[in-house]
Amino acid sequence: MRLKIKWIYTLALAMLMQFSFAQEKTVSGVVSDATGPIPGANVVVKGTKNGVQTDFDGKYAIKAKVGDVLVITFVGMQDATAKVGASNTINVKLQGGNTLDEVVVVGYGTQKKRDVNGAISKISGAAIKDIPVQSFDQALSGAAAGVNISQPNGVLGNQAVIRIRGVNSINLSSYPLIVVDGVPSFNGDNLNQNNANNNPLANINQADIESIEVLKDASSAAIYGSRAAAGVILITTKKGKAGKFSVNFDTNVSFTKPFNLIDVLDAQQFTDIKNEGLRNAGTPANATRGFYTMNDANGKLVDTNWYDLIYRTGVATNHNVSISGGTESTKYFLSAGQLEQEGMFRNNDFRRQTARFTLDQKVTSWLTLGGTMNYTTSRNNGLSTGSTFGTNFSSSGAARLAFAQAPNVGPFRSDGSYNLNATAIGQGNNLTPLQWVNPQYILDTNTFVSQNDQIAANFYVNLKLAKGLNFKSLYGIDNLIAENRDFLGPLNGDGQSLGGAATNTMNRYTRKNIQNVLDYNADFSENHGLSALVGSERQYTNVNAWGASRRGVSDPFFNEYQGNYSTIVFAGNLLTENYLESYFGRVNYDFKKKYFASVNARRDGYSAFAPDQKWGNFWGASLGWNIVEEGFFKNLVSSEVVNQLKLRASYGVVGNNQGLNDFAASSFYDAGVNNASGTLFFNRAGNRNLTWETSNKLDLGLNFALFNDVISGEFGYYKNDIDGLILSVPQSPSAGIPGSSILSNVGSMRNTGYELTLNAKILDKGSFKWNASFNITTQENVVTALDANNSDIIVATQLENTNIIRVGESIGNFFIVQTGGVNPANGRRIFFHGDGTAVQYDHSNPVTSLRWTKVSDGTPTRAANQAQDAKVMGPALPTFFGGLNNTFSYKGFDLNVNVYFSGGNYVYNGTRAGLLDQRVWNNSVEAMTRWQNPGDVTAVPRIVWGDNISNGSSMPISDNLEKGDFLKFRNIALGYSLPKSLLDKIGLTNFRFYVSAQNAFTITNYSGFDPEISSNGNANGSPSVDRNSAPMARTISFGLNLGL
Amino acid sequence: MKNLCLLIMASLVIISCSDTEALNPVNQTRISDANAFETPERIEQLVLGAYSGVKVGNFYGGRFMNYQDVRGPEFLNERNNAVTNLLTWSFGVQSATNEVQNLWSAAYTAINRCNILIEGVKTAPVADALKARYTAEAQFLRALSYYSLVTLYAQPYTLNNGTSLGLPLRLKPETSGGNNDLVRSTVADVYKQVIEDLNAAENGLPLTNTTALNNTTRAHRNTAIALKTRVYLSMGKYPEVITEANKIVSASAPFSAPTGVANALASSIATIFGKSTTAENIFSFPYSSNDVPGTQNSLVFYYNASAVGGQEYSLNPSGIIANTDWKSTDARRNFNVVTGGKQYVHKWTAPQTDPDFVPVIRYAEVLLNLSEAIARSTNSVDARAVALLNAVRGRSDATTVFTTSSFATAQNLIDQVLTERRIELLAEGFSSPDIMRLGQNFPAKGLAPAVSKTDTQYLWPIPLNELLYNKLAVQNPGH
Repeated sequence: MRLKIKWIYTLALAMLMQFSFAQEKTVSGVVSDATGPIPGANVVVKGTKNGVQTDFDGKYAIKAKVGDVLVITFVGMQDATAKVGASNTINVKLQGGNTLDEVVVVGYGTQKKRDVNGAISKISGAAIKDIPVQSFDQALSGAAAGVNISQPNGVLGNQAVIRIRGVNSINLSSYPLIVVDGVPSFNGDNLNQNNANNNPLANINQADIESIEVLKDASSAAIYGSRAAAGVILITTKKGKAGKFSVNFDTNVSFTKPFNLIDVLDAQQFTDIKNEGLRNAGTPANATRGFYTMNDANGKLVDTNWYDLIYRTGVATNHNVSISGGTESTKYFLSAGQLEQEGMFRNNDFRRQTARFTLDQKVTSWLTLGGTMNYTTSRNNGLSTGSTFGTNFSSSGAARLAFAQAPNVGPFRSDGSYNLNATAIGQGNNLTPLQWVNPQYILDTNTFVSQNDQIAANFYVNLKLAKGLNFKSLYGIDNLIAENRDFLGPLNGDGQSLGGAATNTMNRYTRKNIQNVLDYNADFSENHGLSALVGSERQYTNVNAWGASRRGVSDPFFNEYQGNYSTIVFAGNLLTENYLESYFGRVNYDFKKKYFASVNARRDGYSAFAPDQKWGNFWGASLGWNIVEEGFFKNLVSSEVVNQLKLRASYGVVGNNQGLNDFAASSFYDAGVNNASGTLFFNRAGNRNLTWETSNKLDLGLNFALFNDVISGEFGYYKNDIDGLILSVPQSPSAGIPGSSILSNVGSMRNTGYELTLNAKILDKGSFKWNASFNITTQENVVTALDANNSDIIVATQLENTNIIRVGESIGNFFIVQTGGVNPANGRRIFFHGDGTAVQYDHSNPVTSLRWTKVSDGTPTRAANQAQDAKVMGPALPTFFGGLNNTFSYKGFDLNVNVYFSGGNYVYNGTRAGLLDQRVWNNSVEAMTRWQNPGDVTAVPRIVWGDNISNGSSMPISDNLEKGDFLKFRNIALGYSLPKSLLDKIGLTNFRFYVSAQNAFTITNYSGFDPEISSNGNANGSPSVDRNSAPMARTISFGLNLGL
Repeated sequence: MKNLCLLIMASLVIISCSDTEALNPVNQTRISDANAFETPERIEQLVLGAYSGVKVGNFYGGRFMNYQDVRGPEFLNERNNAVTNLLTWSFGVQSATNEVQNLWSAAYTAINRCNILIEGVKTAPVADALKARYTAEAQFLRALSYYSLVTLYAQPYTLNNGTSLGLPLRLKPETSGGNNDLVRSTVADVYKQVIEDLNAAENGLPLTNTTALNNTTRAHRNTAIALKTRVYLSMGKYPEVITEANKIVSASAPFSAPTGVANALASSIATIFGKSTTAENIFSFPYSSNDVPGTQNSLVFYYNASAVGGQEYSLNPSGIIANTDWKSTDARRNFNVVTGGKQYVHKWTAPQTDPDFVPVIRYAEVLLNLSEAIARSTNSVDARAVALLNAVRGRSDATTVFTTSSFATAQNLIDQVLTERRIELLAEGFSSPDIMRLGQNFPAKGLAPAVSKTDTQYLWPIPLNELLYNKLAVQNPGH
């Protein structure tokens, strides 16, 4: 260690030596870009440390001698050079937007994009700041190759599904590590949830984000070691810039409502279809059963469209203001934001207020202090929608109620009281009782509130020890207090069996992160570039959650926890902690900017593992070859044609512990209650050998730029071999091990694919500009090992087994009974037994054992069932996805069209099973195309009352499996900016107004609400299931950006 | 030099000492396996934990009792809901059916708790007398669990003296993986183990647990003896039933236990449900608002048709309620409440959120066990057998008094006792075991088919997940 330090120090000293011989003079001038002077640009005499920054007016003055070369740089602009000649004035105009000179944020530092060997995608904050979503993750669909971000549905606050280069775990999280300004953030996977979604990423104001970097390969992500298997997303918030004082004000108002709702039967159609079912079942409507319409007090037919009651056009307003600026030594950024958003569901509201302050202060030439403080208070009012993981069959789920509730009854009786009977909605004139709860009562009474107060702050000290040698110490905290408050009304729905219930839980998530990093950067000469970094990090995370549920409300008046109730039970208790201690390092080296090499390594110690298994080593290494710098290539191809051509390759081993229980390796006895006395019992068999899942990542890529960046892009191949997947390895139930399973590192899986990114400046003719950016990624997943028996893992969509994890198949393929449409001869659904025998089902046969018959000869046979007959179908994961972003500008107008596409997979349209269910549920209008007479060719079987089998309610059937390809116009924004001449007159730097449409429209053949829907959210093993989920929301916004 | 110092300092900061305390956190809400048996208080709690294992929702918390009842002829399924035991009721269970897998897992988890307790108590810091008592309680619960399982997953002992395939007999604690494989012992071996455990329990259990609550909710000597009468009855070993029963039933009416807890019939059947701890309630599992068997598990959910219940099973109009021998004035008819034209058993009336105790052994059952055993083993219309029957009948129906002359043959008396069991123990989990121990067929009811004793569905299959991971387990024939 000592030797190494000495060596570094010697190098540093060498760098400090300066010799000068020639006659110096003072050169001055103005650095500007297309919009005017640039304050804070760097002007350096090449090969020296002699440098200055431009002042507020873009002016500089520097000592140089004739023959010297000045290098002028500014973030986000192309570097420029100017040779010092006879003149003492050199004015430089910088060209904007060379992507290769862009600075990208990497783990614990920054790098020029040109020098990056790893696979990193960058998304600028400007691209997402006006998109009307609750959290930035929802705005990233299609933005970068290899990163698939989809929106599970239109419920407010629902965490986007993020997959970086495929599904990277089975049991643990496949959600990437999210690092905000250097400190890993909480995400929705970490939180106690109620029906109001709580996504902590929504506590970050989009408008405060400077850039988002996605680290995809081992070379870039290995510096995050044991948490990098699913990739890393770095969020960098805005900072002040020297000299450039600015005020920005952004405001918008938006209107959101569901789109592509499926039409359901009206009151008369419902009544007719259900009675037809009764007739076909041999039990026609009579004086004691059957369905009958009713009239309201005014004699008007009651024909309730429950969609109208449950959905609405939500109005949202969003205001952000920021002040930023600074001098050479002090830089600041201050912002405040207020978002009030109504969702497409009644009762679904999100309100957020944010404040952020960032300050960087250069104290002396060698000391800089700074920090960021972000406070967010947010409140999400939710409702039971049945659209989040594990709630799909919730009987109060508003999304299903909206289409399943009978239309021939209304929400209220004629006296204005709720239309209720014992456990369901009042049945009106229907003689057969209805089943579903009254949505009106649920919406009026049940509340789910999740309220957050979050402080994320960090403070750093930066010591410049020598030229290029910096020591930075950062202390960060992330404290999130999430208070959940639920009330369930006593008269109907989920609260009824409890006599009404109020449940409050308090959840305190605290994180402390301490980082110390020594960073060295040097260009020894023209030929050698070296940067190195060593550091350590400690992260303490605690969760302290507690609460209670009060039940049996004494009076309907009470709807708060503090009211009067008869019983109380505890709820939502959790007390846990984890600690991660890490040592890491990185070396980047390049030779003549031609050959690049980098090594990243990290040693992590994690508290959840047993003492022998606490420490793990992770690493990534890469090589790069910038072919354009080669002499032979320069001779071959003009740099005017090819200005970048870089081959890169990386390999490394990273880990995954995200989503692992904090005490996963340990065995425990748990306390409980027997009547009123405490109990203790063996409740968890740990595994002392448990350790990280490991992901072996290979990345090969080619970065290119043609015709001076007119066309640029990247082509890559990735392979993630994941080993040691932690699975609950089943034990013989007779062994009596709690849960009959023990966690072990047994599984393995592989993700492979190609990525292509193309950026093109298609047109640049006078005032008309057209830029396009396209990316596409392919992905192929194969599960290569599970437990010792390679036992299938059947994955449920709450109550229904829909997916399977099987060796040799892609994770989460469907596990579905093959069906063959409707038999035209008799209107029965045809199913196939596992051996291929076609059988048919007739719910109208009163003898249950005779309902299943063979199609061939009508003889009775056994029932088709999932255990014996289901087949693996798929793929469930999209095989390709990507985005296309077009930006047009003409004079003051700008038009941005963002397209997200995905496909190659199937979606299980389980919602359709419900929409054709022949119990007392309403049906989609598709039911009108039912089979009625021999010879009818239709997709809907003969309607038989009570039939919950033919259409997929009792087991998933392949007739509900549909292709999931789609192309979605995710965002279209049209803006107009006032011309500079006008701005100058009114003293503004920017005045733009815009109109945008989020989820403008979708091109797909999918028959359900939306093929993007994911009923199981971020669950690894059950993708592409659409089961009773809410539709997507379309949002139209009108906004204004103002700058001074 | 200044720079060098700073550099060294920076390096030291980076490599400063590892925080070993934070790397080895102590879970604040769970007791580590390393010190679960550390104090007498914990051991007492571990004993109660074994009781809790047996009384979970999938086992004695309600579902198991319901399975045993709805297989029999007394109930009709009202909800057509596969989650609430429809397949058990209609004899359609398969090896992967939830009921089949969940009961097995729950019972073996409970058995493992008993095994862990028996092993752990050996070196525990408690007095020998307490060790003996705790061990005996665990043995009692293990016996109850194995006996319960063997009545559903295996052929009755009486079919062939227990030579059929029984259960894997797990008698050692399992706290880590690796012991997946174990053969199924024979039914006879399972019963042998049950009797051994109960004999040991009888020796180790205290004569009384001092409070009424503990005398009902924790095993005492009479509890083990009472269960033995049931087990021997299932084995068809009637003399043994008599021997055991006589330990806790006096020679003549009014019958009561001469030693230990003075178990006896309560004066009115109306008083023995709810959270009752009368002398009749030899053994019940207790519940409270903080100790519930879970949604859709409790007895009140299955049987009760009022707002607190789920109205899942109504009384079969052609079941025992159609029997005119069960007088309309019989106090036990008061439990049959009419809702929507159908009758429902309302023995359990407290809401699922704070449910009634689950009665496991009542003194009335012991009297009927003894009555039947006397009649069978003497093959006569024995006066004491009639007196025992009268004790149960007379409590709820004073108008009926049997005499020895009421029965022409011993079989008539036995039949009357069996009828009395159907009335007295209705919805308490005796229907299926009584049919199976007597080698009877299950009659059809509603849309559920009749199942003969040679039918595959006569007994349950071994759960699929047991067969998958226990390579030595074999399936019941036909399943």
